[in-house]
Amino acid sequence: MNTEVQTGEPAPVMMADGRPIRVLLAKPTHDCHDRGVRLVARKFRDAGFEVIFANFLMADEVVTTAVEEDVQVIGVSSSSGGHMAVFEDLIAGLRDNDLDDVLLLGGGVIPVDDEKELKDWGVKAIFGPGTTAEDAIVMIHQQFM
Amino acid sequence: MFDEQTLAQSQDLGEKRDAAYDKIVERFGNSAPPSAKAPKTHSGLPIKTAYFPHDVKDLKFSQIGAPGQYPFTRGNLAAQYQVMNWANQPVIGYGLPENTRERMDMLAAQGMIGYFGQKFYNLVYDLVSHEGLDPDHPSSRGRIGQCGMAVYSKADMAALFDGMPLDKMNVVHITYYQVLPALAQYIALAEDQGLSAGDLRGNSMNWYHQSAYVGMSAFPPANGHKLAVELIHYCAKHMPRWNTTNFFGYGVEEAGGTAVQEIGLMLAYGIDLVRSCVESGLSADDVLPRFGFQIAQANDFFEEVCKIRALRRIWATTMHEKFGAEDPRSMHVRIHTHTSGAVLTAQQPLVNLIRTTLHAFGAALSGVQAMEVSAYDEALAIPTEESATLALRVQQIIQEETNITSVSDPLAGSYYVESLTDQIANAALEFVERVEAQGGYIAAQQSGWIRREVEESAENWREMVNSGERKVVGMNCYETDDEAQQPIFKVDKEVERIAVERIQAHRAERDAGRYEAAMAEFRKAAEAFAKKDYADLGDGSLMETAIEAARADATTGEMMGVLKDALGWRAPHEY
Repeated sequence: MNTEVQTGEPAPVMMADGRPIRVLLAKPTHDCHDRGVRLVARKFRDAGFEVIFANFLMADEVVTTAVEEDVQVIGVSSSSGGHMAVFEDLIAGLRDNDLDDVLLLGGGVIPVDDEKELKDWGVKAIFGPGTTAEDAIVMIHQQFM
Repeated sequence: MFDEQTLAQSQDLGEKRDAAYDKIVERFGNSAPPSAKAPKTHSGLPIKTAYFPHDVKDLKFSQIGAPGQYPFTRGNLAAQYQVMNWANQPVIGYGLPENTRERMDMLAAQGMIGYFGQKFYNLVYDLVSHEGLDPDHPSSRGRIGQCGMAVYSKADMAALFDGMPLDKMNVVHITYYQVLPALAQYIALAEDQGLSAGDLRGNSMNWYHQSAYVGMSAFPPANGHKLAVELIHYCAKHMPRWNTTNFFGYGVEEAGGTAVQEIGLMLAYGIDLVRSCVESGLSADDVLPRFGFQIAQANDFFEEVCKIRALRRIWATTMHEKFGAEDPRSMHVRIHTHTSGAVLTAQQPLVNLIRTTLHAFGAALSGVQAMEVSAYDEALAIPTEESATLALRVQQIIQEETNITSVSDPLAGSYYVESLTDQIANAALEFVERVEAQGGYIAAQQSGWIRREVEESAENWREMVNSGERKVVGMNCYETDDEAQQPIFKVDKEVERIAVERIQAHRAERDAGRYEAAMAEFRKAAEAFAKKDYADLGDGSLMETAIEAARADATTGEMMGVLKDALGWRAPHEY
């Protein structure tokens, strides 16, 4: 999987234990609707998070990157469907790697019924149309600071 | 266009009016919106608050001209909707081939129609096919039959078009990079019906540059471009009625680009493509008549109308002056409008019907050749039967009830429309010069320059929405709390299992000997193609071996595997 690490201009936002918050934002390669997630990446960077942005074909690539990059947050953007299978595989992969405590977020076009199911599976929040990057930033702050 | 006396009068009256206007705005002080003082189009072009003859005094009448006359600002043909209404081309595709066929038949029964009563189908392939894979690839789960039809072989196409003679209709194949396998399979199916490639009408996308705007895996841009030229060669020889290339301007505006960037980038790519075609031994008039355009129609009503008029003008003048195009069809911009999906909202979804109606109305006033009107539930899911039918009705209402089809280019001669058309044309030409200064479109894509330009526009837009400077009803104004939940279309879960079973059975049942032999030849041709310069293109071997592979029941994933190996396939961040 190919990743680019973006670090923000502002001072990094630290967690209680003094480490910076690292966020992995991931988007399926064949989902071309990445206008939103790229904006989120920039906003997160501006908010002082360390952001890793990655396109993936398989969910296990996201897990591998999460392990390698030691992230606390994973945000999956999906606007073309297929998100349920991705989250199912991703959650299983995180569990196998003892990463259950990673904050898992979703965004894009995810129907309300799926959102309910995803929350049952442990996805903390879905940021759909009408939400802003700032909403997600607030949630991450609440979780880690 | 005006005599001196009229211009003097215009100047005088204009100045008086502007002074009176300023006084009124001053009286309102801070309560007047900023747009009252310095209005701008959505592209950011400065506009005036009223227009006069002196605003178009530098414009020559010959730059406006007549419908059907060079430079075609006012439309390609002398007779337009009066004799040939625009084609209804809703995008169709979901689930198994038979599911998509059901939707095709349903919309045809509701009056979806092409030119002169012909059958037109605008069919989109699914996410698995777009990635160049087959449904039994481990990454395909959850994506089979989503956002398009699960069609991966000649056999799937046979199910899709069961009982339909392919020479009696027009089919647009909406692919990403699986252009060549999809066309090869379609030709192979036509042969099974006793037809040849030359009998077919429709479009290939032949557009390898979506990765300039959005992050998705792709062939390296230069190799994609070479594939495009190869297909144009093949069609020039064997498929005279096939539209080879779809200039995907829609993708620019949907990715957040402005109207100016959309048409500027299409012209910039057109220059690169014709240049490469000429280098490969074809003339401008050999290739241009079979190019088509997919253009967005978004919210700034007049800018979007004028954008179309400007595109027609700068395309014709550039192709004529730069490449010596003489055939009028070479200078025509044939447009399929796709009303913007990106400006539709998930909030208050029915309200989108009003937006799409305005978009379609603008497209009709600008004289386009075909339309897809987005369904009102576009921001939520694949359209339901109900929303797809209503989207078709939007077109039918404008076509049948408004009488705007009686007069070509009805907005011509408006001081504002002519001035803005000229302004957009000039801004787009300047943008083309900037692309050329990067070494042309392909170089500008490769370096990431295009992506940065478009992304900056997207971010500007978002900032304006967030700050409330750009209003979006239901999102940053006039919100409602209690929204009724919209019924959502879902693809049947069984689709995945059936598609996987089918492709495995398909592989088991085909003539293995013929398949192996055909794929070996295709691989050889692809490897040779990868080494070729433009001047060596056109022997047809890549397309001919692809067609033989399709005859031998090769799947999309298998054929794309060969092309990816030979030409490279990169994830977005490797650029």
